[in-house]
Amino acid sequence: MLANRVIFVCTVVVAMVYLYGTTQIPSLDIGDPLGPKAFPMLLGIGLLIAAGMLALEMWRDKAKNSPEADQPPAFEPRVIMVLGGVVVWTGAYYLMFIPLGYVCATAIYLFGLMAFFHPRKWVPNVATAVLFPLVTFFLFAKLEVSLPKGIFSF
Amino acid sequence: METLTHILNGFTVALQPINLWYTFVGCFLGTVIGVLPGIGPSATIALLIPMTYGMEPTSALIMMCGIFYGARYGGSTTAILINTPGEASSVMTSLDGYQMAKNGRAGAALAISAIGSFIAGTLGVIALTLFALPLTSLALKFGPAEYFVLMFFAMTAVSSLAGKSPAKAMISSLLGLMIATIGIDMQSGQQRFTMGIMELQDGVGFIIAVVGLFAIAEVFSAMEEMVKRIRPEIIRLKGSVWLTMDEWKLSVKPILRGSVVGFVVGVLPGAGGTIASIMSYVWEKRLSKHPEMFGKGAVEGVAGPEAANNADTAGAMVPLLTLGIPGGGSTAVMLGAFIMYGIQPGPMLFQNRPDLVWGLIDSMYIGNLMLLILNIPLIHLFVRLLYIPGGILMPLIMAISAIGLFALNGNTLELFFGLMFGVLGYLFRKVDIPVAPLVLSLVLGGMMEQSFRQAMTISNANPIIFVSSPICIALVIMSIVSICLPFILARLTPSKT
Repeated sequence: MLANRVIFVCTVVVAMVYLYGTTQIPSLDIGDPLGPKAFPMLLGIGLLIAAGMLALEMWRDKAKNSPEADQPPAFEPRVIMVLGGVVVWTGAYYLMFIPLGYVCATAIYLFGLMAFFHPRKWVPNVATAVLFPLVTFFLFAKLEVSLPKGIFSF
Repeated sequence: METLTHILNGFTVALQPINLWYTFVGCFLGTVIGVLPGIGPSATIALLIPMTYGMEPTSALIMMCGIFYGARYGGSTTAILINTPGEASSVMTSLDGYQMAKNGRAGAALAISAIGSFIAGTLGVIALTLFALPLTSLALKFGPAEYFVLMFFAMTAVSSLAGKSPAKAMISSLLGLMIATIGIDMQSGQQRFTMGIMELQDGVGFIIAVVGLFAIAEVFSAMEEMVKRIRPEIIRLKGSVWLTMDEWKLSVKPILRGSVVGFVVGVLPGAGGTIASIMSYVWEKRLSKHPEMFGKGAVEGVAGPEAANNADTAGAMVPLLTLGIPGGGSTAVMLGAFIMYGIQPGPMLFQNRPDLVWGLIDSMYIGNLMLLILNIPLIHLFVRLLYIPGGILMPLIMAISAIGLFALNGNTLELFFGLMFGVLGYLFRKVDIPVAPLVLSLVLGGMMEQSFRQAMTISNANPIIFVSSPICIALVIMSIVSICLPFILARLTPSKT
């Protein structure tokens, strides 16, 4: 129920922001009776209607005293912390993707994740973290997909 | 006669050594990735798209199709051996397949799955071959108004059947359409919602969204399970992968019935493999002389849903190829792959590129055969993949996702967009918002708006054009029915209290 309330509020906020953004689109209606604003405007209104439908569903669930209505959101603090860490670590990996190069950045990234999620298995972790980026780098080079060389660009 | 000529010409394309090789590679890789727990066909296609970047479109799409049904097959293996379906459509297989495996008949369950998939897949492709040309003739009568209403119907159908809450599915659909409006408007040249970011001028790349929503989000969910120390029990596969004569006799009719159900349901937008496999399961249980065995390892409970699930794959290709409209998440990803290669499926594709479209259809016959040949003897090898620790596998999927995102345009900002979609996809799963409507809307959004505006230009902004032809009226009625369907089903379902 709490999750649904959050979804409801987020949906209304997104719809309002989107509708405001729609009003900012410059309009040139020559040859097009609707212009670039009309379709997005309909979508914004549609999203508000969907939020209204969600509110009705919440009201119906509450009226029925449905067991689903009392379920708390399934977010555990430890899970949020770990996944938050993964997102930050992945962001750092993406930032280093070009400066360090695909092979080096990926090896460090993989090793970091494996050390956490597959702990104390150093040999397979190091072997995978080193071999995987090397093999994929050459495989994708063969497939005409060029990945950044970074510190190995010589 | 015309169809026969096309089929023969198609085989000259599909049987070229290079295309045979790509069919094999697609089926093999699709099965390999599809076997990995939790990774469904959509994520598999999204992850493997970068491998086809440098390829000729026909070969690339042949490989993509191989990946599509290879992944569907791979999903059944996980459903049977670890009770973790790769996607929702394999859920019914896991009910009896896992029980068969627990009863020591894992090999038989996998064999039924492989044979059922082959028969249903082949029958489905035969039906696709027969229906393709008549449907393209109908599709040629479609103008912008008909196309708009058809896309609207596809979205309402997907939304009404995805998840428990129609409101959440509608929110997902509309968010997809909104994301599709980001970028330069094709008709007026005006920038919309780009926030001054140059990379957004061409819109949000479809591959970015799919990789994020399916692959990265899946990794986050798997990592959550690792944190919670949830580990599925893997049933050891012992002995040969084959079935007894009695099991074969029990399987034949369910496979044939499942093929019909799967194909018909697959053609309809929105329904997809999940509904097809549920319908087949329920049907088999009703027809069975021993319905009490269902859920305890009934052979028919594996044969029927597996056949339905695979025939659905061919059925879903009918609207995709003939009308250019995908009926669900997986085919939306396929459409994205088509568009990425500059190919717009639809009736004109049959006229302009018969070599491509018939080569693709014929490659499905070959792919189904390859999957059967691959899966029976190599199943022990594929099963080994289930033993790869999640702590190694998930980081590797993140790295493969990064390759796919970066290889698009060589831009690191798109990596971050992919990560954002990954977080969004994960949150959607947590709060039960279906992702399929968002993906479908994202793919169709641009075309939908173009059709809407073209129709309104033709009618001088009179919306009556959307009910001005029999096709439009029929599609509007179907849309209304699909919008009302969840409410009708809720009324028909008896209350638990």
